[in-house]
Amino acid sequence: MNTKTLFYILKRLLLAIVTVWVVITVTFFVTRAVPGGPFMSEKALTAEAQAALEAKYGLDKPVGEQYVTYLKDIVTEFDFGPSLKQRGRTVTEVIMDGMGVSIKLGLIAAFSALAIGIVLGSIAALRRNKFIDKVIMVITTAFVSMPSFIMGSLLLVIFAIKLAILPANGEADGGLFLPVVTLALYPMAYITRLTRSSMLDVLGQDYIRTAKAKGVSGLKIIFGHALKNSLIPVITYFGPMLAYIVTGSLVVEKIFAVPGIGRAFVNSITGRDYPLIMGTTIVLAVLIVIMNLVSDILYKVVDPRITLE
Amino acid sequence: MKKIIALVLASVMILSLVACGGKDNKKEEGKAKDVLAVCLASEPDTIDPALNSAVDGATMLAHLFQGLAKWTQDDKGNLVVVADAAEELVEGVENADGTVTYTYKLRDGLKWSDGKAVTAKDYEFAWKRAASTALGADYGYMFEVVDGYADDALNVTATDDKTLVVTLSNAVSYWNELLAFPTYFPVREDVVKDEGWATEAETYVCNGPYKIASWKHNSVITLEKNADYVDADSVTMKTLKFYLSDDANNMLTNFKNGDWLLIDDVPTNEIATLKKDYADEFVVAGQIGTYYVSWNINEEVLPEGSTLTGAEKLAAESEIRNAISLIFDRNYIVEKIAQGGQVPASSFVAMGMTNPDGSEFYKKNPISDDYFGYYNVASEAIEANYNSAIDTLKKYYTYDEASKKFTNIPSMTYLYNTNEAHQAIGEYLQSAMAGIGITVELQNQEWNTFLNTRKEGNYNIARNGWVADYKDPICFLDMWVTVSGNNDVQYGKGAHAAIKAYDLDLTKLGYDVKVEDGTWAETYDVLISKIKSCTDAEKRYEMMHIAEDMLMSTGCITPLYFYTDLYMIDDSVEGFFSNPLGYKYFMNCTIK
Repeated sequence: MNTKTLFYILKRLLLAIVTVWVVITVTFFVTRAVPGGPFMSEKALTAEAQAALEAKYGLDKPVGEQYVTYLKDIVTEFDFGPSLKQRGRTVTEVIMDGMGVSIKLGLIAAFSALAIGIVLGSIAALRRNKFIDKVIMVITTAFVSMPSFIMGSLLLVIFAIKLAILPANGEADGGLFLPVVTLALYPMAYITRLTRSSMLDVLGQDYIRTAKAKGVSGLKIIFGHALKNSLIPVITYFGPMLAYIVTGSLVVEKIFAVPGIGRAFVNSITGRDYPLIMGTTIVLAVLIVIMNLVSDILYKVVDPRITLE
Repeated sequence: MKKIIALVLASVMILSLVACGGKDNKKEEGKAKDVLAVCLASEPDTIDPALNSAVDGATMLAHLFQGLAKWTQDDKGNLVVVADAAEELVEGVENADGTVTYTYKLRDGLKWSDGKAVTAKDYEFAWKRAASTALGADYGYMFEVVDGYADDALNVTATDDKTLVVTLSNAVSYWNELLAFPTYFPVREDVVKDEGWATEAETYVCNGPYKIASWKHNSVITLEKNADYVDADSVTMKTLKFYLSDDANNMLTNFKNGDWLLIDDVPTNEIATLKKDYADEFVVAGQIGTYYVSWNINEEVLPEGSTLTGAEKLAAESEIRNAISLIFDRNYIVEKIAQGGQVPASSFVAMGMTNPDGSEFYKKNPISDDYFGYYNVASEAIEANYNSAIDTLKKYYTYDEASKKFTNIPSMTYLYNTNEAHQAIGEYLQSAMAGIGITVELQNQEWNTFLNTRKEGNYNIARNGWVADYKDPICFLDMWVTVSGNNDVQYGKGAHAAIKAYDLDLTKLGYDVKVEDGTWAETYDVLISKIKSCTDAEKRYEMMHIAEDMLMSTGCITPLYFYTDLYMIDDSVEGFFSNPLGYKYFMNCTIK
């Protein structure tokens, strides 16, 4: 790695920190500006009790002061504060619980999507316009255009109710199977299509023709030359996709009752659990920023023609 | 290629052979009979007995703790409140100043799940903690009846390890029920010192039929029978699994495939099918609650140019609101929209609340011999109601005989929280009101915002609902005093504060209270405070009926239906019961 690349990474990291800080600031003030509050419930608290709670959590102070205290706590002590709704638990505990499940789910889904997608895409490209190509294209088109809540419900009806061979709740043995499949189908189909078109593009390039002319074997052309270059768009897609799968699996979490971070996030917003909203937002923002950075760096690894600056 | 297709086909065939039929198939496999898996709701906000205010949390707490009293079924299957940790539910002794003192003896052999003895001190500590302003518990006001509550100095003392003495401001009929209420369950001082004690299985110390064996957050809480529990012999179900999900469709899937044996929610759009397909397992239980429409008392309903002011204006507006309330077909709402066996409501105090003689509170009839409550909600009465509404409204608005519509009723906005069922009801109200010429705009808000808007009175008409915390009509009435945080109608606030239009005469009941043309604060607020300090049941109920009459006369509360509690329970489960507050009890269950 040369100094230029190192400098680039440093620059990006700095930018990432600024991005996260902007996210924190905007989220902090927006959540406070939204009507309602964490101690709002159908059966109203007495004014005294409400005041006591607000004092306890420092919500009685001016918003500016709360903001400064909050920033100080996360920067100096890495302390995200207590959850206001799940009383007695800290934001860190709640997030760790949810992230554990979501990351496991997301990683399995993302990498199976990647592996299967690349293989199917390559097969389709190499057997262009043949029967197998058409089958793959029809299936992937279906998967790309079907929203996850429909796919999830469909799988649930078939495998959990009609056949009753897989559980419908994420917690049971084998319970992650259906949510992983539901999550993975869309990116898998998308990667298949990306790989196919990009591979077709690469196969038409001059250097492939040169290699063929020079008598290089078919397999070597594919694995040594074509595949690597046709993966560039896949890599661009993969970073954000991973972040999206980990953070955006809310629908799937809901359908299969998987206790992930998505559910915690949504509940924190409806409950105005300020520290938990902040905590989850920060974690998700950091994740997305890092994933983007990683996929940019991977470009360089795959394609030396790209310069990072 | 052909090989692959053949392989796929073969595996599909094998799969379909292996698996056939969901639930019944699973039952035959012989599931564990000592584990009962249920799903009530998503992860509870808290299962600290003092902090909990949710029904699902209360159900878990009823299995984890032993209060002085508990709900149970008697030999005939009737629900009763009986002594639990207390040797007996004693009668109170009235003191000279009207307060009432109860002295409870604890039973022998009471233990915490960590082996330490349960003492009267634990109850004293727990009650004072739960009632304190510092804790800020939703249900702190459950201790309102106890002497000293207002000064944050609850009059309860453990005179020794086994004796608890508590003094109430005055006798209340539902005191024993309160003793069985989770907020009254004991906790131990050294345990709750750790603020996170009630969030993990390891730190959770309880004294009831079960203890927490494991807790996977947002996923499942597993309860194991507590061998140290004093009545452990009576507990038949060894393990309870409370799965945590708030998705009704997911619950139903798990019920259908036999994994969960009780689910406490069902998708609204499936109700009709479920009632038919699962006739024995789909249960509609009573619940003490009312779904109603609240009107902001300070919002204009008179036509533009009306010259009425003050008390006259208020009287006209009350009459108008009550007239509009008559045009809704409550039978249509419960049968076609809500579909869950709800009961059309003609009063605000819900069905299930009873008078001292055991008769339904709402059946005490203030208006007519033909029906109960404040409206005739029978389907035969729809036309008569409609005509009477039109006649009343004609006094104030211009009626166009050709179109059969009023032309100058101000347009209104109906506010509801985002939810399909509420929306459907809103659309019905909108169409019914459009039928007589009132333009209603529907506006929905996300839950927390909605609560805020309603509480602040920044609305015109709003969806509302109230479910009883304990079985006494006062919990439907004291929420309407001026300073109450639940006074969504805004009685006695804003412009309404100064309007002198209410009468209150309690001289016949022996009180020196006679107000003519008083404000809301001078009448309703006084009435409620008299009810709260009254020890004579007859008089107390008489006054509660007066209070409801006052509320209903304003027309600001339009009851639509009485709630029901819908759940599904597998027909293999025996020994299950639930109480009128919706708490469910599994300790005496067996699985066939």
